[in-house]
Parts: sequence; structure tokens; C-alpha cells
Amino acid sequence: MKQKVFKFLGWVALLFGLFFCLVQSTVTAQAKTYQIGTDVTYPPFEFANKQNKYVGIDIDIMNAVAKEEGFKVNIKPVGFNAAVQSVQSGQLDGVIAGMTITPERKAKFDFGTPYYKTGVVMAVGKNSDIKSFKQLKGKRVALKTGTAAADYANSIKKKYGFKTVTFDDSNNMYEDVTTGNSVACFEDQPVMQYGIKQGLKLKIVSSPANTGWYGFAVKKGQNTELRKKFNQGLKKIQANGTYDKIVGKYLGNKTNPKVKGKTFTIGTNVTFPPFEFANKHNKYVGIDMDLIRAIANEQGFKVKIKPVGFNAAVQAVESGQLDGVISGMSITNERKAKFDFSQPYFMSGVVMAVGKNSKITKLSQLKGKRVAIKTGTSAADYANSIKKKYGFHTVTFDDSNNMYQDVTTGNSFACFEDHPVMKYAIKQGTKLKIVTKPAESAPYGFAVKKGHNQALLAAFNTGLKDLKASGTYDKIKAKYLGTDDNGSVAKTAADDAGSRSFFGLIKQNQGALLSGLSETMWLTVVSIFFATIFGVIVGLLGVVPSKFSNGLSSTLIYIFRGMPLLVLALFIYTGIPSLTGTKIPAFIAGVVTLTFNEGAYIAAFVKGGIEAVDPGQMEAARSLGLPFGKSMRRVILPQGIRIMIPSFINQFIITLKDTSILSIIGLLELTQTGKIIIARNLEGFKVWTIVAVMYLIIITLLTWLSNWVQRRTKV
Amino acid sequence: MSEKLRVTNLVKTFGTNNVLKGINLTVNENEVVVIIGPSGSGKSTLLRALNRLEEPTSGSIVIDNVDIASKGVDIDTVRENIGMVFQHFNLFSNLSVGENIMLAPVELKKETKEQASAQAKKLLKTVGLEAKFDATVQSLSGGQQQRVAIARALAMNPDIMLFDEPTSALDPEMVGDVLAVMKDLAKKGMTMIVVTHEMGFAKEVADRVVFVDDGQILEQGTPDQLFEHPKNERLQDFLNKILNV
Repeated sequence: MKQKVFKFLGWVALLFGLFFCLVQSTVTAQAKTYQIGTDVTYPPFEFANKQNKYVGIDIDIMNAVAKEEGFKVNIKPVGFNAAVQSVQSGQLDGVIAGMTITPERKAKFDFGTPYYKTGVVMAVGKNSDIKSFKQLKGKRVALKTGTAAADYANSIKKKYGFKTVTFDDSNNMYEDVTTGNSVACFEDQPVMQYGIKQGLKLKIVSSPANTGWYGFAVKKGQNTELRKKFNQGLKKIQANGTYDKIVGKYLGNKTNPKVKGKTFTIGTNVTFPPFEFANKHNKYVGIDMDLIRAIANEQGFKVKIKPVGFNAAVQAVESGQLDGVISGMSITNERKAKFDFSQPYFMSGVVMAVGKNSKITKLSQLKGKRVAIKTGTSAADYANSIKKKYGFHTVTFDDSNNMYQDVTTGNSFACFEDHPVMKYAIKQGTKLKIVTKPAESAPYGFAVKKGHNQALLAAFNTGLKDLKASGTYDKIKAKYLGTDDNGSVAKTAADDAGSRSFFGLIKQNQGALLSGLSETMWLTVVSIFFATIFGVIVGLLGVVPSKFSNGLSSTLIYIFRGMPLLVLALFIYTGIPSLTGTKIPAFIAGVVTLTFNEGAYIAAFVKGGIEAVDPGQMEAARSLGLPFGKSMRRVILPQGIRIMIPSFINQFIITLKDTSILSIIGLLELTQTGKIIIARNLEGFKVWTIVAVMYLIIITLLTWLSNWVQRRTKV
Repeated sequence: MSEKLRVTNLVKTFGTNNVLKGINLTVNENEVVVIIGPSGSGKSTLLRALNRLEEPTSGSIVIDNVDIASKGVDIDTVRENIGMVFQHFNLFSNLSVGENIMLAPVELKKETKEQASAQAKKLLKTVGLEAKFDATVQSLSGGQQQRVAIARALAMNPDIMLFDEPTSALDPEMVGDVLAVMKDLAKKGMTMIVVTHEMGFAKEVADRVVFVDDGQILEQGTPDQLFEHPKNERLQDFLNKILNV
């Protein structure tokens, strides 16, 4: 019944279309309303809904583009062939009808930017046993005239020995399969998917073949302005999310079933512009970030970005704390031993940069000079590999800004950096210049732990391929690097002069700074709480009359006081998970680290404080018949605690300051927040001043509180 | 006179240092025994071994027919019956005078707070410091602190009182008050073992004087026997030195 209605409507529409075309031809000169042809019924791209209104991906996109670009369209569902021919004959201005871009068609049409990716699939009856093309031998297959799917089927029909029957619309074709007249049909994947979703008794049995792109088409050499407008509008609706909404509305999100709906935690560098850096709103952007998000979007998974720093990210992936790392990571053989890499997504090369007024232009001029490099980068590897030859020595930094700074201040004479990174930094105002051509070009890849997260890796590769095909990849690259060397780099970090003042910086980064501060406070408070418990217990173990307890106490103090906080933090965050296989959230790892480290110090002075109480006090208590525990509690501890209080205050302040070290495991506390802000605006002095003052204020408040407590206990 | 305490073959060594070399001593009920001897002779160690503040290396200490030096003894219960007064008083500096006296009776559930407080006041009265109940330890003179320490030891109603040079750390004018309290205690029939250099006290109060040197008891007897007719050469030498200053 439905099909008949469609068919009827189709004819009506065609008649209307023809009528309008006639009218149109007379007023075409002034018309600002473009006549666009489309198929009668090609769901989900175009079809009449219950209210007999034409809707679908094509229709909605066309309307959205028109709205965005301020022109009017009159969409005519005249049927695919009619629409194509009408455009050819000049009766219609353009066609949007799930039209695959093919070389043949390009000879007669000018296509706009591809707007939808498709592929041909084979569908069979729900209960059919047919699974492969081979089983089609001698059988009848249904096709729809003039479609890419039909072209594909025709191209393989000899090879597999099947016969074809052609229909003019999809419904009839489907019908021919469901009734058993034909054993299979070939159709574009989204169309087939939508049909099955709507209740067609068919199933898809082949993976998409002959993948191609749908494009909006105008007659070759005609309507250039319309095509341009379409491209501009499409870009806009893709950027503002309208496009995704439209596609999602009809097909649900395009997904990869293996990763669909999953959330992957992806590590990245704190600051490696233009690949990753926090923008004004403290959102992580950059080529890597945009790419992974676009791929996630396309493949239907979610990503949680963890800007923990390059080394921490790599280690966290190794230990299984993170699922993958995208961090301008060069694919090297060494790394391949521990990671599985995606297809390369960016070609980079190492350049040497020197101070703006430096006279150094060649590697040979570096003899005996100091050169700044960044830990673990391929640029550093390159520098190290040539340092003997050119006789320079190196100094290593943990992030790019410090490295640049070392050169601009003149401490080092040059630095080595990946070309795009250096280029971007200079565009952002770093006072350096590039003096060599890119060397040691190495491709960047997305990495997962070897043998793990293969579905994610596969999804990344598929997504990357799709983004490259659709031009999204180039768009992302151009956004950060410009299209050519003189091109317009997006001024992501450009701030007006006002926001460069102290007040401006505070105002601009207020939210980030406060949230960093609150993370710092949380870490401090929670850590002090647990460290005190841990410290008091271990300290008491050190004074009870038991050799075993004393030994245990001394050992714990020895280990945790003897280990640098930084090492302990990395050990707990990345070391333990690689042994046990369980992830530890960064915040918990941070608290555990501080609990052990600060707790060891607390234990030491708790022990010392108790030991500092006159032994005669204990003797007197014991001589009265008081057991050890009671003597401790009623006589020794009250006196010992009084001795310990200044040490406690001291330790609390130290704990607060030590939270800054936890920035190494990516906790977004105050110091890390500062780093990130500086990575964006390069206002190191001012931002560090603000951060330092914030620490001082908090420490002053903490000291006041402590003194108040101390006074109260001294009664 | 019944036997209260018997020490047999008590030996205490610190590493290779033999501090007590086999002490045998018997103390009867209500007896006041004064231990004298040069410094370093082991007399303080002997006294501290009696409530096992120093753990004996070997030998036995029998109090009321129980060997308190043996392993299975709950020393805390034993100590409740043996009061001890230290050279440096060792009052609990985090507690007031009254709290010092009340702590053990209350903590060990011998008395309620009210009872303990009433008893503490009574004890303070007997040592002449009833006004100091609420005072802090730090506000007292040495002599006062020592008298509070005696009251604290008495609060547990001990059978035996040990005094470890109770007046050595005091200014001379304070000594009298403390000795007066001790004399008073002796008169009431307390069994007392006192390590002291106060020969006057020994002569006047002691039932028996014990001379210890080099970890051994070299002579013992009534004050008259020891001070007027010392037999041991080293005792004679010791008395010469301290009486003819």
C-alpha cells in the first residue's frame, strides 16, 4: 500500500516538477530560488514522511545549507534519473539525490564537497542461506537503475555468473527479493540499513564494497556560485554540528560495532602545539585532539583526553592505565616493540631553531655549544645522534616551553623540535627562527599497548581513512598549520593586549585557576588526613616494646622517606598497574603517594616526639601499675603531641606544596593548571607569579589555622 | 615480724657489666630498710629491680610468697602494691597536681573519680599541700613536687614503698619537709626500702641499714651497728668520706 502511495506521489511530484520547470524557465534570470532535483523515494536520503512532507538526509542538508548561506531552494522529488537529466538539460540547477561521485559523472557534472560516505552492500532475504557472491551463480539479482550499486553489481556479474533484473525504485527492488523472485539485491549501505531498520525483511551479508562519496552536483561549468555556496554551507553545518544531527536523526550515529558506545581514555602531552594544547577556554584542542575526536565521532566511540605529559602518557599506556596515546608520537622501531601503531597520520621532520638574532645557521656552528632538547622526543633522538659529529652538548627539558625559554634567554644556543611544532610556536610569538630544513622525517602514529586495544586501533585506522577521504583530515590540518607556509594559522592563542595584564590573565583564567586550586586543596586535605593516620600508626609502631614493630616502622620510614616523591608517584601510578593490571585513577594514586611520603615524615617525628618525652614519665606511670598502653595514652602522648605540633604544621605546609609534584601524573592541580595556561599564552612570568601568590595565600591561611590550633592545645 | 620480701641471688648484668652480683636480702613487714653505698655501687639498680623497672638477669624476688621475677607474673598488678618515689619526682607534666594523684586509681578502676579526688585531697593534706590540688606541676618547688610524688605513690595503697634517692635533687632547705613526710610514713608502719645519702635519716628512722658496694651487700645491721661499729673496711672508708666532709 505504502509503495503505491509513494509511487503515486512520485508521479504527482514529477508532474509538479515539470510544471515548475516550465514556469521556471521563463523567470530564471532573476530567480534567487534554486531548483534542486532529488529522487522520489530514496530513504533515508529523501522520502515523504507521514505528513507527505519531503524529508531525509539530502533534503535536510540542502535546507540547512540554504539557510546558512541565505538562499532559497525548491526541492523537487522528480526521481533520480529525471533529476539528473533535468540538471543536464538546464531545467534544474542542481541535484542532491544520494548521487555517488564517479569519474563518469564528473565528466558531465561539477560536484560539491562530498557530504556522505557510502558503500555497496548485498542484501538477501531474512532466511536466506546466501552469504557470499559465489552463491549467486545462475541466480537472479535485483538492481535499481542508474545507481552505483547497480554499476557495481554489473561489474561483478560475469565473474560470479548471476543474472540481473532492474527496477526503477528501491521498494520494488526490495519487494522482488522478499517475494523470492530475486535472491539478492545490491544497494547503498545507508539506504539498506535504513530500510532494514524500518522493517524490511532483508539482511546485509557483505561488507561495504566500492566505497564512495555522495556529492551535490550541478551541470558542468554551470551554477558555480550555487556549488560554492553549497560547499561553504556544508562546511559550516559540519562545524556547528547540524550535519551530525541530521545524519544521526535518520541513521543513528555511524558506528563501528566493536567500539560503539565505549569510552577510551587517551593520553596526550600537556602542551605540544599545534598537536595538543589547551585553548582559551581550557579545552584541549590541536591536530591530535581534533583528529581523535573526529575519529571517535565517526566510529561511534567516546574519548576521554588525559593531558598527562608525553612520558607519563606513554608509560601509562604501557602499564594499561590508559587505552591509547596520541601525542605527536613518532613511529620508531624501538617503540614498535612495545606499542602497536596506527597508520601514520602526520609526517613530521626535525628542525633546528635558534634565537631570533642568532647568527647560527648551520649544525657545524654548534661546536662546543649547549643545545636544548625535550625528553623522549624524536627531535631529541636526532640531536643526540648528531651531537658527537658536531661537537655540541645537550640539556634536557620536560616541556617545550622551558626548552624554548632556554634558547631565548641565551642559556642554550639552539633547540631541536618537530617542524610543525616549531612553526606553530614561532607563529604564536616565540622569539626563535628555524634555520634548517626538516630532517629525519618520521611519521606520527596513534599507539596502543602491544597486543591490546586492537579494536580501538582498527577503528582509528578506519576513521582516519574516512576522514582523509572526506577532506576532514585536511581541514583539521589546515586549521592549525594553514594551507601553506605563509598561510593563515588559526589564531587560537591570540589574545588582545588587555588580557595580557595581570588582571586580565586572572580574569581570563579565573575558572581554570580556581578549579586547579580546589584540586590542590582536595589533594592536600585528603592526603593530610590519610598521611596523619598512616604516620601516627607507623610512628607508634616505632615506640612500642616489640622488636618486630620497631623494625617494621623503621623500614617503612626508610623506604618512603628515602624515595623521591616524583619517583614514588610514577611508581604508584604507572608501575603498580603494569604489575597488577588494574588501573589506578590519578587522584587516588596521588593521595596514596602523598600518604606514604608525608606519612613517613610524620611517622619519623611522631616517633621522635614520643622519644623526646622524659623516660622518667613512663617509668613513673608504669611504677604505679599502669599498663604500657594506658601510660602511653594518658601520659606520654599528650606530652609528645605538644612536641610534635610544630612539625605537624610544617608537614601540612609541605604536603600542600608537594601536591604540585603530582602534576607529573596529570592531575589538574594548581601547578599543572599554570603549566597549561602558559603553554597557551607563553606568559610564564606573570602566570607563575599568580600561581605562586595563590600558593602563598593558601599557606598563610593554613599557618593561621595551625597556630590557632596550637594555641588552643597549649592551655 | 613476718617476712614481706625476700631477694635471693639477684643478678643483673648490662652486657658484660655485672651490676648486681648475687644479692640476698630479706625485708620484714613494717620494716624500714635504708640502703647506702657509693655511687655506682648498684644500690639504685637493686631498688629498681624490686618492681622490675630493671628486669633481673637471674635470681628471685618473692613478695607475699609470689616470685615476681618469674615470667608468668602480671607485673602491672604487682606494681599496684609497690609505690615508688624517684629522685627527679617524675610528676606527669601534662596533668595537674590532683590529676597526678588520681590518675592511677581511676585508670585502674580502683576508685571512682569522686573517691579518688577525695582521697587525693586527704593525701595532699598529709604531705602538707592541700592547697595545691589544682596547681600545675610546673608551679611547684622541688620539695613540693617530691611530696606530691609520695602522695601519688600512696594513692594506690601500696604495701611497700621504694624511695630512690628522694632528696638528692632537692635544695637543702627542701630536704627537711620531704624527710618529715617519710618519717611520718615510717611511724605509721609502712614497709619502706630507701636508697639515700641522708645518714641522719638512716640513723633516726631505719630499722636496718644495708651497705652495698660493687654489686654486693657487704654489711648490714642496725644503724648503731653500722654507723658506730662498722666492720667492713670499705664501709669504714665510705663512712669516713661522707661524715667528715
